[in-house]
Amino acid sequence: MRQPKGDILVIDDTPENLQLLATLLTTQGYKVRSVTKGSTGCRAAQAAPPDLILLDVNMPEMNGYEVCQHLKADSQTQDIPVIFISAHEDVLDKVKAFAIGGVDYITKPFQVEEVLARVEHHLTIQRLQRQLQNQNQRLQQEVQERELALQALQQAEEKFAKAFRSSPNPIAITTLAEGRFIDANANFLRITGYPLAELIGQTVLELDTGLDRIAYAKAIADLQTTGVVHNQEFEFRTKTGQTRTVLLSIEQIELAGVPCALNIANDITERKQLENEFISLVSHELRTPLTSLMGALDLLATGQLGSLTPQGQRVLEIATNSTERLIRLINDILDLERIKAGKISLQKVDCNAAELITQAGEAMQGMATQAKISLAIEPMAVTLNADPDCILQTLTNLLSNAIKFSEPGGIVRLSAELTSEWLHLQVQDHGRGIPTDKLHSIFERFQQVDASDSRKKGGTGLGLAICRSIVNLHGGKIWVESVLSQGSTFHIQLPLNLEEP
Amino acid sequence: MTKCILIIDDEEDIRDITQLGLEMSMGWRVLTASSGQKGIAIAAAEQPDAILLDVMMPDMDGRMTFAGLQANPQTQNIPVILVTAKIQASDQESFADLAVAGILTKPYRAMNVAEQICKILAWTA
Repeated sequence: MRQPKGDILVIDDTPENLQLLATLLTTQGYKVRSVTKGSTGCRAAQAAPPDLILLDVNMPEMNGYEVCQHLKADSQTQDIPVIFISAHEDVLDKVKAFAIGGVDYITKPFQVEEVLARVEHHLTIQRLQRQLQNQNQRLQQEVQERELALQALQQAEEKFAKAFRSSPNPIAITTLAEGRFIDANANFLRITGYPLAELIGQTVLELDTGLDRIAYAKAIADLQTTGVVHNQEFEFRTKTGQTRTVLLSIEQIELAGVPCALNIANDITERKQLENEFISLVSHELRTPLTSLMGALDLLATGQLGSLTPQGQRVLEIATNSTERLIRLINDILDLERIKAGKISLQKVDCNAAELITQAGEAMQGMATQAKISLAIEPMAVTLNADPDCILQTLTNLLSNAIKFSEPGGIVRLSAELTSEWLHLQVQDHGRGIPTDKLHSIFERFQQVDASDSRKKGGTGLGLAICRSIVNLHGGKIWVESVLSQGSTFHIQLPLNLEEP
Repeated sequence: MTKCILIIDDEEDIRDITQLGLEMSMGWRVLTASSGQKGIAIAAAEQPDAILLDVMMPDMDGRMTFAGLQANPQTQNIPVILVTAKIQASDQESFADLAVAGILTKPYRAMNVAEQICKILAWTA
C-alpha cells in the first residue's frame, strides 16, 4: 500500500459534506478520519494528531471556533493546521477564525480544486515548518556541542598551562624551524639562570650555552621524522657559567598554527656527580684488593713458594681465571663509563687507518693462532680524524669476538672500503651467527646471544656496548649482519671529514 | 743489574705482594714504608733507585709526599712512579702537572711490576 500523502481529520456535522470531503481526499491519496461532533474531533486529534484538520464552523454543542480554541490550548495539538469550512460570507467570522489560530478559510459551496490546493498548500507549509524546526534543533545541538568542545579545549589548555607552569621539570617551547624560544617555565629559567626576557626571541644556538649544535640539530631532525625524542643527554652552560647535564625529551606540538618543539628537561647533574663519585670509589676499592689477590695468585703460580699437587694447581688456575675475569669486568665497566662521560676522554688526532687496521691484526694474532683461526687483514690507507686508541680497542674487540665464535680452521677477515663520506670497516667471521631478534640488542650492556657466553668465552658482556659508544662518539655507525650457522659481519662506518664544532 | 725499590703504600697487603713480586721476579732489594713521612725518611737515608708511591693514602697523600720528596735535595732526583687505582681521564690530567716518571695503574700483576718499572724508567733489565 502506498504511504498516504497526509493524515487529515475532517470535523463536520453534515454527513453529506463529510462524505464528499472524505471521498475527495481519499481518492487523492490522503488518509481521512471523519467525525461529526466537535468534542469527538478533539479527542481524535489528541489520540493521534493528524497532519491537518478541516473544521466546520457551524456545529451544534461545540462549534468550530470552540473546537479550534480547545485544540490550540493543548500542546499536543496546537501546531496542527486548522482550515475552517463555512457557508458564512461574513468578514468578521474570517477574522475570528484567524484570530483563534486557523490557518485558512474555505467557504461553502466549495470548489474541489480549491479545497485540494489549500490542503496541499498547508500541508507543504506544515512540512516545511517541521523541517525548519528540525534544522533549528540540529543547529542548536551543534552550537551546544561546539560550546562543550570549546570548554574542553579551554580546560585542556588550562591543564597544559598548569602542567607547564608547575612542572618540576624545566620546560621550554621553541619554534621547530629556527629553535626560537617562545616560552619557558620557572624551573627552566632557574636551571639556565636566564630571565624570560633574555630568552624570548633568541634561538637555542644563539645563546652562549656551549650546547652541542650537531647533536641538537640531529635531535630536531629525529623529532621531525619520528615525532618524539626521548631522554637524550645534553650538557650546557648556565648564564653564570656552571656546566649542567640534562636528559632532554622533545615533543612536537602546534601553537597558533606554528610547529613547535616542547623541550622537557630532566636535570641529572647531581645524579651524574654521584655516579662519577661512585665509579671512582668502586674503581679504587675494588682494584686495590684485586691487585693483592692477583699478585698473591701469581706468586703462588711461580712455584717458588712451594709446589702444589695437580688438584692444587687446578684450584689455583680457577682462582686466577676468575680474578682475571673480574678485573676485565671492572675495566670494561670503567671504560664504558669513561667513554659515556663524553668528549673529554676522546683524544682525536689525524691517524692512518691502515696502521690501525694492521695494529689490530697484530694485537689479535696470538689469540687467533691459539684458536687455530687465520686472520685476513686488509689495510686501507686513508687519513682519519679519530682517537687511535679507541678505534684500536673497537677493532680488537670485534676481532676477539669473531675469533671466539669461530670454529678452529676458520677465517676472520678485517677489511675496509671507502665511500665519499665514510670509511667502512668490516669484521667478518664464519661462526655460528646471531639470531635475528638479537641483532640489535647485542650492542646493549650484558646482552650476549647466549647467557652462558660470558662464562664460556671469557667475555664481560660489555665489549660491544663499548664499541658502540666509541663509534657513536666519533659520529659513526655500527651494526651487524648475520646468517645463523653461516657467520656474522660487523660493520663500522666512520666519517672521513668530521666537522669540528 | 740489581736495583733497590722503595714502596710507599698504606696497605700492608699491597706492600707485601709487590715486594714479593719484585724480589721473586728480579731479585731486587725492596724497602717499604706505610706512610708518606716514613717514606721520605727512608728515601733520604737509603737512596733507592726508584720509588713506587701510592696516590690514595690517609693524612699525607701521594701528591703531598711527592712534594716532600721534591723539596728535599737528597731525594729530589729519585724517579717516582705513581700508583693509582683510578684511570679516568680527569685523574690522569690531574697528575699531568706532577713531574713524576710515570703512572702505574692498579690492578697490576705482581710478577710483572718489575718489567713495567723497567719500561717506564727505560732500564735494561
